[in-house]
Amino acid sequence: MSLTFKHIAPFLTTGKNKASRWLSYFGLGIGVLLLLSSIQMYININGLLKNKNPKKDGYDYIPVTKNISNENMAQSHAFTEAELLELQKQPFIDDAAAFLSNKFVMKANGGATLPFSSDIFVESIDEKFLDTLPPSFTWKEGDQVIPIIIAADYLELYNTVFAPSRDLPQFSEKSLTSLLIGIDCEGFNGTERFRGNVVAMSDRINTVIVPKSFLTWANNHYTHAGNPEMNKILLKTRDANNPALLSFLQEKDYHINKDKTKFGRVKQVLQAIVSGLAGFGVLVILLAMLLFSFYLQLMIARSKENLQLLLTIGYSPQWLSKTVSKKWIPVYVIIILCATLATAILHWSFQHLVMNNRDELSPFIHWIVIAVALLLLILSIVVNYRLVRKLLYKL
Amino acid sequence: MQIELQRVAPTYIEPEKISTSHIWNEVLVFQPGEKIQVVAPSGSGKTSFIHFLYGMRKDYSGTVSYNNQDIKTFNAETFAVYRQQHISIVFQDLRLFAEQTVLQNLEIKCQLNPFHSESKIEAMARQLGIESKLNKPCKTCSYGEQQRIAIIRALQQPFEYLLLDEPLSHLDQVNREKVMDLIAEEVSLRQAAVILADLKPTDYFKADKTINL
Repeated sequence: MSLTFKHIAPFLTTGKNKASRWLSYFGLGIGVLLLLSSIQMYININGLLKNKNPKKDGYDYIPVTKNISNENMAQSHAFTEAELLELQKQPFIDDAAAFLSNKFVMKANGGATLPFSSDIFVESIDEKFLDTLPPSFTWKEGDQVIPIIIAADYLELYNTVFAPSRDLPQFSEKSLTSLLIGIDCEGFNGTERFRGNVVAMSDRINTVIVPKSFLTWANNHYTHAGNPEMNKILLKTRDANNPALLSFLQEKDYHINKDKTKFGRVKQVLQAIVSGLAGFGVLVILLAMLLFSFYLQLMIARSKENLQLLLTIGYSPQWLSKTVSKKWIPVYVIIILCATLATAILHWSFQHLVMNNRDELSPFIHWIVIAVALLLLILSIVVNYRLVRKLLYKL
Repeated sequence: MQIELQRVAPTYIEPEKISTSHIWNEVLVFQPGEKIQVVAPSGSGKTSFIHFLYGMRKDYSGTVSYNNQDIKTFNAETFAVYRQQHISIVFQDLRLFAEQTVLQNLEIKCQLNPFHSESKIEAMARQLGIESKLNKPCKTCSYGEQQRIAIIRALQQPFEYLLLDEPLSHLDQVNREKVMDLIAEEVSLRQAAVILADLKPTDYFKADKTINL
């Protein structure tokens, strides 16, 4: 016949202090439910608020500048090399590069076909950041035609706002690429005329892009001062709504287009709330375990003489620890199982009743929730065993 | 198993008591099957001696060894193994579970490492005249009855050494004889050694050797 807890039960004072025992069971259940539900909600938020913007290559591209406020208006708002390097090093940023802009006066005119004239600005960026890159987008010294990529939005603005206001012709994307406009560059070497040709439209970058080789040459040629400082940086990231990225940018006081990251900000707030809830759950679990440990300590203290005598007549402390702590394994299993089931019911209700069976959410709880429940079960058993063992060896 | 004492002496006892003792500061080996009687007046360290042998106290100089291993190096698990299989004891203060019944007191030992079937408990209780007390709480039994319960408890396990600390102090002649008969029978079944400590030579105990403490 093998010895079990049943044999030594009459020698232990387990029945006293029932209230604290049941309170600790209840606390443990509530704590586990809070923690598991928070984890499930965290996963739900991530699933529901994934980036909704179409991504051509799986990345988001966000232009970043420094915030200009009344207080810092007089200071430089350029990025340093160290700041660029810091951005590139962040785990949530896949790449980063600075825009290069013109430091000399540039004017565009449409000639006879397109009677308008305007000061313009142009920028350059590494070619790997461009979404459309036709083979004609190259420039070398001596070339008279400058290839240009403009934001697709600009054509739309021109066709819907600018052209009707000036009685100018409207253009399709294709017809625009056949057009050559005049570009005058002014600087130390006087005014020189080039021709500009729109070779592509970009959905990604909201500016006027020319080849870097042209801008580097022209900045030197017209100003003798080289390239200007880096005032704007383009970030390449897997998820523009990553709360870690947003927190980093906020912390650095960098400015970004809020539209690109609006889901991220909502997610950030929701995740903070859910994390707080999970933290509270962990706290409740800890308190419940503490309460249960007091119950165990009290039980062992009350049964001290009997336990000492059991050890004296040959009972092994290891066997006693295992047997005494094993008694509560079914209790822990039941509590954690109930909390997991309650989480599953809550999640199902959320998916079914609140989210109207939306496809982004599975009606079942995530495997991570089950893994955490198992982990908590193992943790409870181990902590309980170690506590009983420690108390018994102290006798 | 063999128990050996190498110049063991309590650290708290007067030096003159040690010099006149035939146990303290001596080299002694207790062989399996031996019947040893240790005789000494009150306060001379009989209970300390039994406790040293059982590994319950460490306040002595010298070495007590089981199978040539110093028991001061044993941990609680090693003692548990020896106490389940090799060495049994009747304490002078009995050390019974006062709140539990007589039967529970006996079963708790029997279940640990049974030498007899549980039905033997009743037979032994009958033999020593306490069968009517089996379902009574231990604390309601007289000291003499409790002494018999402690003796029956010690006989529930296998052992090579049986340590008895004044086991008959509260028993009348008739019960002394019954108890010693039962002990002799059980010891002979196991071919075990007995080390009995008492105030004077015990009736009905056929000692191979009597040592004055």
